[in-house]
Amino acid sequence: MIDRLLDSARGRVDNADALWRREEQTAVAFESGRLKAAGISEEAGINLRVLANGRMGVAGTTAAKPDPKELVERARASAGLGEIVQLAFPGATAAPLPSIPTFFDHTANASLAELIRMGRLLVERLSRPGCQINVSVQREVADTAVGNTAGARGEYRATGIAVTADLTRIAGDDVLMVYDQYVGADMPTDTDLEALVRSVETRLAAALTVVTPPEGALPVVFTPAGLAAVILPLEQALSGKTVLQGSSPLAGKVGETLFDERLSIEDDPLTPGRPASRPVDDECVPSRCTALVERGKVGRFVYDLETAARAKTESTGNGRRGVFGKPHIGYTNIRFRMTDGGRDGGAQQAAPLPSHELGGGLIADIADGLIVDDLIGVGQGNVISGAFSHPVGLAYRVQRGEITGRVKDAAVAGNAYDVLKRIGGVGRDGRWLGARWSPSLLLEGVSVARR
Amino acid sequence: MKDRLAESLKQSRADYTEIRVERTWSSAVAFRGRRLETATVSEDQGGFVRVLNKGCGWGIASFTSLDELPGMVRRANELSRAVRLDEPIRLADVAAQTADAILDLDGDVRGIALSEKKQLLDRYNGAMLAVSDKIVDTQSSYRDEVSEVWYVNSEGASLYQLRPEVVLSGTAIGRRDGNIEKGLESIGLRKGWHSVQNYEDRFRVVAQRAVDLLDAPRVRGAAYPVILDNELAGVFIHEAFGHLSEADFVYENPQAREMMTLGRRFGKPVLNVGDNGAATGLRGTLPYDDEGTPTQDTPLITAGILVGRLHSRETAAKLGERPTGNARAISFRHPPIVRMTNTYIAPGQQGVGFNDLISDIKLGVYACGAFGGQTMLENFSFTAGWGHMIRDGKVAELVKDVVLAGNLFQTLDRIDHIAGDFTWNQMGGGCGKGGQFPLPVTEGAPHVRIEEALIGGDV
Repeated sequence: MIDRLLDSARGRVDNADALWRREEQTAVAFESGRLKAAGISEEAGINLRVLANGRMGVAGTTAAKPDPKELVERARASAGLGEIVQLAFPGATAAPLPSIPTFFDHTANASLAELIRMGRLLVERLSRPGCQINVSVQREVADTAVGNTAGARGEYRATGIAVTADLTRIAGDDVLMVYDQYVGADMPTDTDLEALVRSVETRLAAALTVVTPPEGALPVVFTPAGLAAVILPLEQALSGKTVLQGSSPLAGKVGETLFDERLSIEDDPLTPGRPASRPVDDECVPSRCTALVERGKVGRFVYDLETAARAKTESTGNGRRGVFGKPHIGYTNIRFRMTDGGRDGGAQQAAPLPSHELGGGLIADIADGLIVDDLIGVGQGNVISGAFSHPVGLAYRVQRGEITGRVKDAAVAGNAYDVLKRIGGVGRDGRWLGARWSPSLLLEGVSVARR
Repeated sequence: MKDRLAESLKQSRADYTEIRVERTWSSAVAFRGRRLETATVSEDQGGFVRVLNKGCGWGIASFTSLDELPGMVRRANELSRAVRLDEPIRLADVAAQTADAILDLDGDVRGIALSEKKQLLDRYNGAMLAVSDKIVDTQSSYRDEVSEVWYVNSEGASLYQLRPEVVLSGTAIGRRDGNIEKGLESIGLRKGWHSVQNYEDRFRVVAQRAVDLLDAPRVRGAAYPVILDNELAGVFIHEAFGHLSEADFVYENPQAREMMTLGRRFGKPVLNVGDNGAATGLRGTLPYDDEGTPTQDTPLITAGILVGRLHSRETAAKLGERPTGNARAISFRHPPIVRMTNTYIAPGQQGVGFNDLISDIKLGVYACGAFGGQTMLENFSFTAGWGHMIRDGKVAELVKDVVLAGNLFQTLDRIDHIAGDFTWNQMGGGCGKGGQFPLPVTEGAPHVRIEEALIGGDV
């Protein structure tokens, strides 16, 4: 399909690139402990970008048998209104694409019965009186082909599986929601499912008692899930697009130490076993790892082909595209690499804690503070400024080194750039959560307000 | 198309079968700063099949290749039969509807050249950039679509709906050194080309606000008396109460049912709330939902008392109530689930205005505009675009980062004053639930006063 489309584009436009993707999903859903639905979804689509008279245009379709000529004409019409871009499509490379396993037979071949079995196991383990348990299991197989008129080609198959467990406990007027997930390219092992069960159980058990929230500028442990509000501003600011637009607070700061020196963050599309891993990006650029933050210093910004051309640099292989619209910058796997900065050297040597241990071993020295596991409304404020302010969704009070119960009706606020300047402690509970790996972090001086 | 769908229905061996097919024509233009991002026309199409058998669960298939329709009906049936249930799924009765429902296209966007749409957005984007040299970046977008939706089910329903939509949005980023602020305008209408003209002033206003916020302090975290402007009051009722009124939250959960017992008091007698999918000309309006049920105005809270909830056919049957036409899917890629349409706080007494709400507040916050909201049912957030302190009964200095932390049982009950100045706020974006985002919805409200609400920030 890609080849026919690119052939059709040749001679009618200066250059072109295209992505074809076909996805098949199988999903089962348990609602309140009962298997209620099973579904499949099949979707295929193609996205074409052209350069015509130096101007860029795009077109996409989900039609089963798209007419290549019509699609090229639609992209040319789009280019007629487009900006002039000095875009250089990568050519065919002699070197093979990086080898990264993205396809797992077990996942692709898992029967409906096998998906149901996993869901049922979680339901049985997590059912308890007064609680409603919803579980979903979703498996995906995707074929991707990318190509361009400069001769580059990339093709790969990928699998992904997501298992989620969602527990709601209503007691009188108290609503408690505890959630966790397994996401991977390969099927979860029994150990993985056990870890998911233990994680939900631990969060639930610690949440049964409700206590008064503290107030003031306090030490707060952000779990890997709770950390989203603090990391989101960095993800936006490290995008080459916001740098180009003049709206990134990190523009012009490459090489400056703005964060705690133990903090390193990378974007790594070559992590084995992750669904976001891939040998090549959606613009034919071979995948590679990018250091975003290195020992507290601002590292490299991420780019796709267009933003790289505008910034006169190279694409970092972060081009992402859907069937509709033009390619844009997207992260793959975000990995924290906490290097020993000396202060918590001992903790780094110790054996990792299982991820269900709340607080990651960071609460022993907290006289009064919080563990934040979930915040409400993340992403809805003035994110790029670094400011965050959110009611807690799931948070625990820590007093004299012990978890004393769950807090409600409290709000945490701060600025990501301030709180990451000095990290009070790095948890030993690092884990994947979707496409991000991080440990818990103890951050100091986070504002906690209560009614 | 209807004949083709009827043929596939006939061949289904399931007890209940429904088929939805959509074909959507859309165009989109986007600017980032002074540069055009894209100007493009797209076509998306696909189908959705859902079947049910006695003693079995739902079997579902969605697909982009319509040639596969007969095969997908068979596969959905196999999937349903693989899900054994001891307690059967029942669907509440709905008279089978047959109709062609053509909403007013209000200037068919398919007949307007893409270059004209680019010019329109260029004007709005340019209006933001011209406000100040402190506006360093903008994100502006125009998107329109005309969606054709066919729906048939094995009970005899056969519907064709033509649904237009047009969305304009603009974000202005103001910057001075390390200080970055934003202003946001968003307009979403179930209309066409005629309805998106002459918005320059509104885009200018948000850019000016982004500049003004550069000098504004962060609000101090505390519990305050709060007045919500119409837009934020709409987002508030959607998050605070709307999601709780969706019956899929309670229908399988005895404890939730008890918490949400009809007749329970949730607010003072001034509070009246409802959801109206049949309101004329709003973004959340549809003649029929995605199960073929006609939409309606559903009272949810009357004089402070819980009186109703939003239903699909399945949740209505389970609770012995009537379907309300709230089963909606964002596209053929998804099953219909219980969703809001146009949710509102009804106006208070006519003639009661903003000044009546503010005059006796010594220290409080006037929270305005909305960047968004999210709920975890009992607790929820709603993020204002900006705010003003209220001092001695008067609107005082501008403040930023105003995020309210709400509690279903406390915040609703603390609404003590509602103005008569009701407006519908037709924003772009939409509601997200169960992986389905953005669903077009509208919210409507007058100015609303909350005696005390928690606002996050430095303490």
